[in-house]
Amino acid sequence: MINAFLRTLGWALVFLLVVEAITGTALSAFYAPSATDAWASVAYVQDRATWGWLVRGIHFHAASVIIVISGLHLLQVVLAGTYRKPRHQAWWVGLGLLGIIIAIAITGFVLRWDQAGFWANKVEVGIAGGTPIIGDTVRELALGGNDQGNLTVTRFHMLHVVALPALAAILTVLHVRFARKVGEPRDAAQPLRDLVAMAIAMAAVLTLVVSQHGVDLGPPADPAQAYDARPLWFIRWLFELRHLAGSAEKLAALAAPAVVGGILAALPIVDRSGTPEGRARRWPYVGAATGLFAVIAALTVVSIARDANNDARNKAMAAVDKQAAHARDLASRYGVPATGPLDVYATPPMWRARTIYATRCRDCHDAASDKRKGPIIAPGHGGRAWLEAFLKDPNGATFYGKTKLAKTDNAMKPVELPASEMTDLVEALYAESGAPDVDVAKRDRGRAIFEKACTDCHALGEGVAGTSAPGLGGLGSRDYYTHYIGNPKSAIHMGADSEMPRFDKELTIVERDAMAGYLVWLRSATNSQLDALGPL
Amino acid sequence: MAPPKPDRRKFLKLATSAVGGGLGLIVVAPALRLLGEAAGSTTVKTPIDPIDVGAVERFPVDTPIKVTIVAAEVTDAWTSARDVVLGAAWVRRTGDKSFEVFSAVCPHLGCGVDFDGKQFACPCHDSKFALAGAAQPGAVAKRGLDSLEHDVTADGRLRITWARFALDTEEKRPA
Ligand code: FES
Repeated sequence: MINAFLRTLGWALVFLLVVEAITGTALSAFYAPSATDAWASVAYVQDRATWGWLVRGIHFHAASVIIVISGLHLLQVVLAGTYRKPRHQAWWVGLGLLGIIIAIAITGFVLRWDQAGFWANKVEVGIAGGTPIIGDTVRELALGGNDQGNLTVTRFHMLHVVALPALAAILTVLHVRFARKVGEPRDAAQPLRDLVAMAIAMAAVLTLVVSQHGVDLGPPADPAQAYDARPLWFIRWLFELRHLAGSAEKLAALAAPAVVGGILAALPIVDRSGTPEGRARRWPYVGAATGLFAVIAALTVVSIARDANNDARNKAMAAVDKQAAHARDLASRYGVPATGPLDVYATPPMWRARTIYATRCRDCHDAASDKRKGPIIAPGHGGRAWLEAFLKDPNGATFYGKTKLAKTDNAMKPVELPASEMTDLVEALYAESGAPDVDVAKRDRGRAIFEKACTDCHALGEGVAGTSAPGLGGLGSRDYYTHYIGNPKSAIHMGADSEMPRFDKELTIVERDAMAGYLVWLRSATNSQLDALGPL
Repeated sequence: MAPPKPDRRKFLKLATSAVGGGLGLIVVAPALRLLGEAAGSTTVKTPIDPIDVGAVERFPVDTPIKVTIVAAEVTDAWTSARDVVLGAAWVRRTGDKSFEVFSAVCPHLGCGVDFDGKQFACPCHDSKFALAGAAQPGAVAKRGLDSLEHDVTADGRLRITWARFALDTEEKRPA
């Protein structure tokens, strides 16, 4: 009966390895192994490809279940003493196989190239690089060069999808052959038992997949952003061991797996209690092996529990989750720029200008700001309605009302004109922006009015300053705004009266132009269009 | 057919392993050489010139400010990219034109170091560093934060020379 159960676990493992091969093959049809594309392609599978999240989830969680069942299988063999001759070869091959499976999981984690995978990889490669003598070479071979980059992704990809699975397949076949060499009576019910075990294993995988909606994907790898890296759960005990080992941590991280592996591998050699029936003399070995398991399990639990109780970390992780959701939302909406996954943050429409607005303009120009000093900038700014309202009350609260200028004699006087002349004048000013929907007849009448009513102070010619007030040539055009933002204090604009700082040093011409483009867009935009631009 | 003479058998054995081994070598050697290329090669190239991080006035005296270090161009094996964020540095203005600049890369295992208002703190394994960069007692990091070379240009802009250092060593040496 013990044997039957053992075999059952074994077949469940083989089944899950096949599941990994199938889901992995499907995923490899989507995965792009390069530092610029890796995250984007994973995000695509996760969020956009039909059932991609499901396949990816199965692929990830099946690995966890494989490792759990492997542990049980191993424990089972230890308890039953079947690591001894004549099954010692199966035992050794099995240990090697478990090592390879863990390596496959570790090499797979970095492929998503998100913060978690990237930083965990950095730490792991750092530890491997601490190996005496050959450390540097090992590190460079793992990274594919001097630093994490394209060749790191391609290398780990090669290991994860070609080299290690090939090895695993060979070892699996060998393991099964060695294990079966020792004949056992066939039981007619066994195939059904095996199938039930496979079904239970798959149910466990699917439960994990559904409860976590597949598997998470963090924000794209960012070498400039702090990330509290943690390894995958099944090597968590090493992380904890390092933590406990203090200055000897590197040694601990390198030596512990070797010690554990060594002890397990040595079992068939040191345990000479003969046939499976010699149970009584076997307890020291069984005790040592199960003790080892218990320690590993305890370290894992302690480590995870400590994180769970660390409020600072929980808060930081919540922020990371939010960032991930944002990045993935942008990736789904606008696609990831071919220049790399970090540029996804810059994909919202007019992102650059809106970022500048939020950091440089908002305080003085936003309706919602309590530090406002200048005219409100909002949808409709510079449009016909806005121009008319401005002309009628230039020193009103929403316009120059909060400026120092408004309280001086230099302040502009309200324009008083009959309604039809007012619309003509507005059309003339509006036409300066270069907007396509200008009523030419109105504009020309408006220009005549401007000549009479405004030229005492203003001018309308291109590049011409007014006598005592801003030149209005090109008012509201992209060029006008670019220049104005660069230096509002220049003679052609507000001159010394302006309280607005110059931005020609702080912002590049590209940034000022982006800002100008945004202002032009705002002119004909509505509030709901502004909202529809989405978060930055 | 008569069994081969001992001499002949020896020859056949030798020839088989020679031809077989040679064939194997021809296949495996180039592949290994290709993979071994990685050792000692600089695949990720980042500029070594000083990088402008802003006007001096941008930095308040004594409060560390985190700046991102943006390289004009970085090549990574077969790609090149412009305006790449290389990492971050903590800049503390100590006087009119004097600064203290630390790489935000933790000297322990390379996580990004934060500033908690009083001292620098690494979230990964809890190393703490004093304002002046020294590792606090109890830190797993074996050395203090790595200072970065920097200068102030004639027109008052701070420039930082970005560098990465070997992780988890007592002395600071370039990586
Ligand atoms: S990486 Fe900073 S303490 Fe470990």
